[in-house]
Order: sequence, then structure tokens, then C-alpha cells
Amino acid sequence: MIRIKIIIWLVILMFLFLLLGLFNLEVIHGRKYREIGDRNCIRLLGQRGSRGKILDREGRVIADSRLSYDLMIVPQDSIQRDKIILRASRVLGKSVGDLKSAFKRGYVSSSMPVIVARNLELRQAIALDELRVDFSAIIVQPNPIRHYPNPKLTSHVLGYLGEIDHWRLTKLEDYGYKTKDVVGFGGVEEKYDYYLREEEGGMSFQVDHRGRFIRTLGFKPPSNGRDIQLTLDIKAQKIAEEAIGDRKGCVIIMDPYSAEIIALVSSPGFSEDDFLSQDNAAISRLLKDPNSPLINRAISSAYPIGSLFKVVVATAGLETKKINSNTSFLCQGSIMVGGQEFKCWNTHGPQNLIAAITHSCNVFFYKTGLLVGAQAIHDYALKLGLSRPTSFELPYEASGFIPSPLWRKINKFKNWFDGDTVNLSIGQGDVLITPLQVTRMMAIFANGGYLVTPCITKSIDGRDMLRYHKKPEKLNLKPNTINYIREGLKGVVNEPDGTGTILSGLGITVAGKTGTAQASPGQPHAWFSGFFPFKNPKFVICVFLEHGGPGYYSCVLAKQIIERMIREGLI
Amino acid sequence: MRNSLLIILVIAVLISTLGVLSIFSSTYQREGRAWQTIYQRQILWIILGLFLFFLVANINYRRFWDWTYLLYILTFFFLLLVLLLGSVRLGAQRWLRFGWFNFQPSELAKLVMTIFFARYFSCKSIDDVSLLSGRFGVFRGLALPFFFTAIPMGLIIEQPDLGTGMVLLFLFVFMLYLTNVKLRYIIILSVLVILLMPFMWYLLRDYQKDRLMVFLNPNIDPLGAGYTVIQSKIAIGSGGFLGKGWLLGTQSQLRFLPESHTDFIFATFSEEWGLLGGAGLLFLYYLLIRQSFLIAQRTQDYFGRLMALGISLMLSIQVIINVAMNIGVAPIVGISLPLMSYGGSSVFVTFIALGILVNIDKTRAVF
Repeated sequence: MIRIKIIIWLVILMFLFLLLGLFNLEVIHGRKYREIGDRNCIRLLGQRGSRGKILDREGRVIADSRLSYDLMIVPQDSIQRDKIILRASRVLGKSVGDLKSAFKRGYVSSSMPVIVARNLELRQAIALDELRVDFSAIIVQPNPIRHYPNPKLTSHVLGYLGEIDHWRLTKLEDYGYKTKDVVGFGGVEEKYDYYLREEEGGMSFQVDHRGRFIRTLGFKPPSNGRDIQLTLDIKAQKIAEEAIGDRKGCVIIMDPYSAEIIALVSSPGFSEDDFLSQDNAAISRLLKDPNSPLINRAISSAYPIGSLFKVVVATAGLETKKINSNTSFLCQGSIMVGGQEFKCWNTHGPQNLIAAITHSCNVFFYKTGLLVGAQAIHDYALKLGLSRPTSFELPYEASGFIPSPLWRKINKFKNWFDGDTVNLSIGQGDVLITPLQVTRMMAIFANGGYLVTPCITKSIDGRDMLRYHKKPEKLNLKPNTINYIREGLKGVVNEPDGTGTILSGLGITVAGKTGTAQASPGQPHAWFSGFFPFKNPKFVICVFLEHGGPGYYSCVLAKQIIERMIREGLI
Repeated sequence: MRNSLLIILVIAVLISTLGVLSIFSSTYQREGRAWQTIYQRQILWIILGLFLFFLVANINYRRFWDWTYLLYILTFFFLLLVLLLGSVRLGAQRWLRFGWFNFQPSELAKLVMTIFFARYFSCKSIDDVSLLSGRFGVFRGLALPFFFTAIPMGLIIEQPDLGTGMVLLFLFVFMLYLTNVKLRYIIILSVLVILLMPFMWYLLRDYQKDRLMVFLNPNIDPLGAGYTVIQSKIAIGSGGFLGKGWLLGTQSQLRFLPESHTDFIFATFSEEWGLLGGAGLLFLYYLLIRQSFLIAQRTQDYFGRLMALGISLMLSIQVIINVAMNIGVAPIVGISLPLMSYGGSSVFVTFIALGILVNIDKTRAVF
């Protein structure tokens, strides 16, 4: 009997052991197994909405979405799969090997449809869809993708779209971004990605052990992104784009009062489609291009501006009362400072302020600069909005740089000499300014003394964004300061011996200043910035040609643009 | 005793009902009439099984004493027949076709071996009516019964059905332990078996080796041999405490779990009824087995007691191994869960065994 008892206890022990095992599986690890079980039988099929449209100020389309088609194969049946690939290769004109390797790369699990070919044409999509009659495993999925009616036109304003990178993902994860999401890089696409971005919908359904559809569990329709209206005028943009051609440089046209950017072109541009289609060869060509087409020259890089800086020196001189309208210096072609000769580009004779701006006389500004002092020039440059970002909306804005004696002492342990002041007075030396900052500075003289913040978004999803825009800031410059400089800027164009006289005779009065900034090695940078019409300025323009030669070339470019704007009735 | 009949009947019917519910749940979504009506056939088997149960309950169990060798030879004959002309299903040759009924002789072998052991070890001396088994030497106490076990066992393992073969071996070892045979013989046998284990490895078929390997680590072959145990664990685990509810188990209904209505019916059941249901079912089995052991302890007749013990062991071994392989703590061998798993042979044999138990309890007063 004792043996029976032992056996009974053994059985009881075994049962308790089984109970323990059951408890371990169902309670301790229950949650884990529930998840695995769901993953076994629940599949998600995403459906993308379309990204928000980007429109110009008149509502014309700059970027919208069009339907593209992807060929997907449900990989449950390998015989059917090979047949589909064979037939599809005939329709698409791709080799069977390519499609097979695409299938292998995209394969996740036996029931997840695999994308074999992307961006099919409508004709191909229809042809493939007809194969569905014979092959149930074929799926032609419509997929909205970005479409640019005018490729390359606004590439730097818009930026491009691509798969999210690791760095962005770590920042944006909390906002619902996932790996493989398509996000904007640079420009409006990046800045307002959150608004433009579509919300993915899709359905979840149950499948059996062979991945066959059983029933739908839920469906969420995708929602489209919000539309953004820009302040750009696509006509002006096109004019500027065509004028600059394939030269390196940029053109900015801005409303001097509201600071709305009418046109912003950076050249060379790039084709957004290269990024969209993930054309790796084209992308690496863009990245390796010595002309750096991906850099937005208008905002993301700063350059010496040469004589355009004289406007700053003139302002500083007038405001600090070191000079007035009657001040006159004699230009003898050069000046000796600290044992070194500083040249003027001509011998101008006696010059007052207006004449000095008109002729871009170096000697006048050397002397003014010495009177005012480097620190004051630096301070006024900052007052005019240089050496700091303009708080423009687009990302990756450079701040530029204006040297000062204090900066040099602290950072370089060197003294500031009068020679440096002289150099600074004509915008040479360490001065670095972005074209957008120049535009904004010029706007101050166009709008009568207001520092504006450039903006490019007119409305998002129908909501007026200009209302939230930073108000122009009054700089409290003396009215005379502005008037004198305006007269000088007018003279540049309208006096027969002005540096920008080529811009006269357009039917409207243009005022502005040229700049030729030494930038060795190579040609100097060519600058022109001005506003028109002179009386009631409607536009500020800044033309910059990187290593484009003397400022004259920029004037020519500006002339072409303004001429066409007049012809097309934009002014 | 009417009492034990009622208890056994209620428990058996309860377990069978849960089995039918689980079979229905795991098969009702499948295509084809055969799948749709499989639960009806199980109900039929159960009704026929109950009929056999009452029939056997009214046959004096001592008759089995007389029929032992006849039954043994019949089983041997069936097993031989299976090897020669059995129908092949799921890669194994386990069934004999009798018209519309597929008969699995290995199920019968378990019961017949139980009867055989009971008779063999309860032989009495002609001189003083004392049990002979206490005086058995190595040959009569160990070698001869092992030989009689090895014949059906070898045939069954050859089918191949390692599980049932192992059940016979376990049955033999534990039965031996429960008789008067000297303890040292049992130790000798155990040591022998353990020593032979490494050589057995070479006799195993490839798929059996795979199964043993994946038992040690299911993830070495998740889509092949390890698939079943992984899916079974997922099914049971995803049931949680309360289960997903009847007809709502995804693992079994969407056919991720193979053999969800036969060997892995416990996983199907646990997925839908949770820990509560699983523990309840185990408790029912425990009650059934306890009842059977109680009958054995009450019985004075040595033959009856050994038969009751054998039946208890047969049930215990099957339930424990089946549930253990369902929860992934035993290698996968083809052992069904008595009364739950779909299959006529298994249901019939189990009910007959229960009928014998009831009869033993009923007739013990005779002696």
C-alpha cells in the first residue's frame, strides 16, 4: 500500500507542476504571448493620404500630389509569385532578376504584401491590375506622391522630401513620426512638415495561418495634410529664375512694408524629384557638386558685401552726427592710413554724401569710417539687422558676421588698427552678410525706417498667418538720415555717372546700391540691392552673383528682372 | 457501488462536453463538410462510448482474466495488420479502416497491456493461494513481462508512434513498482533503460530527433519542428487568466496551431477559457484519477486492484504527458488527451476503461 501512496503523491505533484506551468504561461507571461498571438493573426495595410499642397500668393500650385501606383505582391503562393513577376516584367520592361531581388529585399512575412515596383505609370498600373483576374496575389496600390508642376523652380524655398533620418526621428518621435516616414528636408517642407504631413490611415484585418484574409477588424480613412499658401508670386519667381539662369547666386524680391517674400531664387537649384524617386546616383551627384546646389544661398550662407556696406557707414555717420549733408571730402584716388595706402577705384574729387554713394567713392567712406569709429559702425550694422539671423521662417539661416574691435580683442588677442576701420568702411575684411539681411537692410530705406522680419507663409489651411507675423520695428533713425541715403541710392541709378546707371530708363525709378566684394580666389562677388518704384516702393530687390564679377553684372540681372516684371504687369 | 459510477459518469461527461465545445470552436470555421461536422462525430463517439461504458460496467471484470491472452493476441494481430496495410495519415501508419471507422489499435494496446499486467502479476500459487509475484526471480519478474511489453511497444514505435510506445513502457515500469516484485528489479530495469537511452537515439527517426531537439530549444527551428510547440505556447499564454472566450480563440480557429482538435486540444481549450478553465479541467482530471485510485485502494481482489491501478496510471500518464507537451515542458509525442481529443478509438478505450473501473468497484464485495 505504501507504493500506491507514493504513486498517488507523484501524480498529485505532477498535476501541481502542470498547474504551475499553466500559471507561468498564462499569467506571468500572458501579456507577451497575447501580443505574439495578435501579431500572428492581425495585419495592417496602410493607406497614405496626400501631403498638403503648397500654393503661391494667388493660389497657383507650386507643389501638390499626384497618384502614383505601386505594384505589390502577397507572397503566400510562390508559384503564383513567379508567374506574376514574369508577367509584370513584361509590362514594366524590367528584368525578372530586378523584380525578384526587389521582392527579396522587401519581404517581411508571408502575409505582408511586398512592394516590387514603385511609381508606375497609369498605363502600366491598369495593365497590371488586369492581371488580378488570374492572380489574386497581385495588388496595385495607389499612392499619393509629391508632384512639382514646375520642377526646380522653387527648390530652395520648398526643400525636398525624403525618408526621415535618425537624427530627426529622435527629435520627432514624440510627435508621432515613425521610421520610414517621408518628411521635408530644408525649406517650407521641413519647417511646416507637421502641418503638411498627411495622416496615414489604413485597415487592420485578421488572417489565418497561411495569411489569407479572414475579416476586417477596423478601418481608418487617411487624412490629407493641410495646404500652405506662400507669399511667393510664382510669376516673379519664374522671372528671377530664368534671369539668373545657371549662374551661381541668388535673387530675393520682397515687399518692403509687409516683408512678404515675393521671389526667392538660389542658383544652382536641384530637382526635388531626384530625392522623391530616391535616385541615388542623382543625389550623390548633387552632394558632390562643387557648386553646392543644395545650399540656399539667399539665407544659408553669408558673403562679404563690398560697397553695399557703405550704406551702413553712411547711416552711422549721419546718426552719430559725425557727418551731415554738407560734409564733403576730397577724393584723390587714395588715402594713407597707418603707413598704408588705401585706394579708391577712381579719382572723384570733392564728394558730399549723396555723391559719394552715387559714385561709391571709397575715400569718402574711409574718412567717414575713421570719424565714426569701428565700434559705432559695428553697432549700427547690428541696428540695421546684420550679424544676426533675421528670424525668417525657413530653417538653416546663417547669421553673418560684422567684426568689431571688442570682438577682435576677446577672440583673437589682437588690436584693432585704423587700417581695419578703413577696410570695414567699405565692407571688406571679415564682414559676412546673407543676401536676405541685405534685402532687409535695403527695406529700411524703402519703408522709411522700419526693420522688418521677412516672411514667406501667407496662410496655413486657410488661416491667415500674416496676422501672427512679427510687426515691423521702428528704428528711430532721423528722417534726414533716411532721406539723404535714399537720395544717394537714387543717384546710383539715375545719375549718369552712378554705378548702377544701367538701371535707369526702365519707366520706373529704381534706387539701389551696387557692391563688388573682393573674394579671392576668383572673381569678386557681384551685388546689387535696391527698391522700386522710388516714390512709393513696392519691392525691394537683392541680386547676388557668387564670384560673378563687378557689381555691374548684378545690375544687368536686376534690370532684366525689373523689365520683365514691368512687362508682365507685376508692378 | 452506485456512488462511484455516478461520480465517474458525471466527470467523464463533463470533460467530454468541454472537448466537444473545443473541437467545435477549433473547426467550425474551416471549409468543407468533413470539418464542419467533426464535432457531431465526436458526439457520436461519446454516445457510443457511454454505451460501451454501461455495457462494460455490467460485465464482471473477472471475465477479463479469462480473455487476457485472447485480447493480447488480438491486439498483436491488429498492430501487425496496421504495419502491413494500415492507412497512412500525417506521415504515420496508425489506423485500420473498418468501413467508416478508422480504428487505432495502439489505443487498444494500452488497455490490453493494463489487463495483461494485472493478470500476470496476480497469479497465485496453487499450493497456498499466495501471490506468486513476490517470489518472482529476475526472469519471471522482469525479463518475461518486459518481453511481452516489448512486442506491442516495438510494433507501435515502428508505426511510428513514439508517444504511445513510451506510455506502454511507463505503464510497465509503474505497474511493476505497484506489484510485489522486488524493488531491486525495478531499479535494475530503470538503470538499464537509462543506460540504453543514448543508443536509442540512433534508432529514432529524424523527425523524432528534431522534436527532441526543439523541445530543448524550440527556437532552433521556429517554422519547422519547433512551430507546433511555439504556437501551442502562444495559444495557451495568450489566453491569460480568463481566456479569450469560447469561439474567440485566434490561434486555433485561424489554424496557427496544428492538431488543434486532437493532440493540442488542451491549448485550444486554454486559449479560450484561460487559466481558470485550464486549472478547472486539470482539477476534473485529477478528480477522475483520484476516484480511480480510491477504487483501487478499496478493492481487496488483487487482480481487480492491479487493473484499477493500471487504468489510473494509464489515464495519469496520458493526461500529464499531453498537458506537459502542450505547455512546452515535454517533447512533442503523439499522445492524445483522454476524453478531450477528437478520435473514436481513444474515446472508446477510455470509456471502456472507466466501465471496468466501475465494475471493479461494484463487484468487489463478492470476494
